Amino acid sequence: MTHLTMEQLLAMREPGQEPGVQGWRDHLDVCDVCQTELSRLDQRVARLRALPLLKPSRNRFLEIRARAQAERRRRVFLVSGIGALALAASVALAVVLAPESGARPQDTNLAGGQELQETMARSRQLEEALSVYNPEQRVLDGRTAMIAATLEDRLARVDQRLQVMNLMDRGVRQSESLRLWRERVGLLDALVDVHATRAGYVGF
Amino acid sequence: MDVFRLADADTVLPGARAGDPAAQEALFRAFQAPVYNLARRICRTTEDAEDVLQETFMEVFRSIGRFRGDGSLWGWVRTIAASKALMRLRRNKYRDADALPDDVMAPRREDAALRMDLEAALERLSETARAVVWLHDVEGYTHEEIATMMDRTVSFSKSQLARAHVRLRRWLGEEVPA
Repeated sequence: MTHLTMEQLLAMREPGQEPGVQGWRDHLDVCDVCQTELSRLDQRVARLRALPLLKPSRNRFLEIRARAQAERRRRVFLVSGIGALALAASVALAVVLAPESGARPQDTNLAGGQELQETMARSRQLEEALSVYNPEQRVLDGRTAMIAATLEDRLARVDQRLQVMNLMDRGVRQSESLRLWRERVGLLDALVDVHATRAGYVGF
Repeated sequence: MDVFRLADADTVLPGARAGDPAAQEALFRAFQAPVYNLARRICRTTEDAEDVLQETFMEVFRSIGRFRGDGSLWGWVRTIAASKALMRLRRNKYRDADALPDDVMAPRREDAALRMDLEAALERLSETARAVVWLHDVEGYTHEEIATMMDRTVSFSKSQLARAHVRLRRWLGEEVPA
């Protein structure tokens, strides 16, 4: 006697009727071996369902929230920040390069303007370097995620200050501008380091 | 295993959609264990399962606004988790032993001497076979749904399940003498 195959036994457990199921049922009615097989299959599935619930070793909510917030900030920054930042950058540059009405000599402005341009170029390079690591798609361990989130928070604050800088007094703007862009470069540098270290660790 | 429910989903959902951390935490607490369990049953390592847990909730928090409430919240979260776990399997394909017969994965001993418990036998299956067994037999997905999630055919899912059960039967010493 040919017994039912595993495929046939499994098909008999499915809600829909496959062609031939009635013939298999007829066989099952008279075959002790296949009845035992089906019963063991049912029991095995029941035991699979009864396996204990495996739980994570620790609560990772804070890390996940930090990552989710960082991702959200990054998205907001990408959508609205780049335009505003470009505007702030042009304002900053215009402020530094514009002739001062006060006693400050022209060559000081030009030197400051050149340094600002260099700092802004460095900032762009670091943004590009960061994008290589694709930080939005990368899974970070908790500690790295927290460090990255802290740096991104500070970066967001610097960008905010750059955006509102054009409301400040011109003298303040001039001194603030370079300082903020330097701070931005420093933060981006650290952020690239974080992702480079992590990528090196996992063999990026 | 569709037994996980968020008791106060009606109050938590609007908060989670607005990005409220307390609501997100309630969501996380309700579903972290079943999500991790599903990921751990499918993935080979705890590290992979923890990554899947993280990726799943990142996606849940990102997309909760798109959950319309047509089905159960756990059903929606579970589908995200299953999809992330299967993505991880594909990413780790080089580690997968699907291309290898089971004899290569572990040296075969005399079947009679091989009496594994169910956990060990499940662990011994290839990642794809284990994923199909878990998604079909435990989580209750149909072969059609599994085929869609795995980007394979329905017959692939059916044959993986049948082969897996033949192996489980042998490893568990449950063969019926004809």
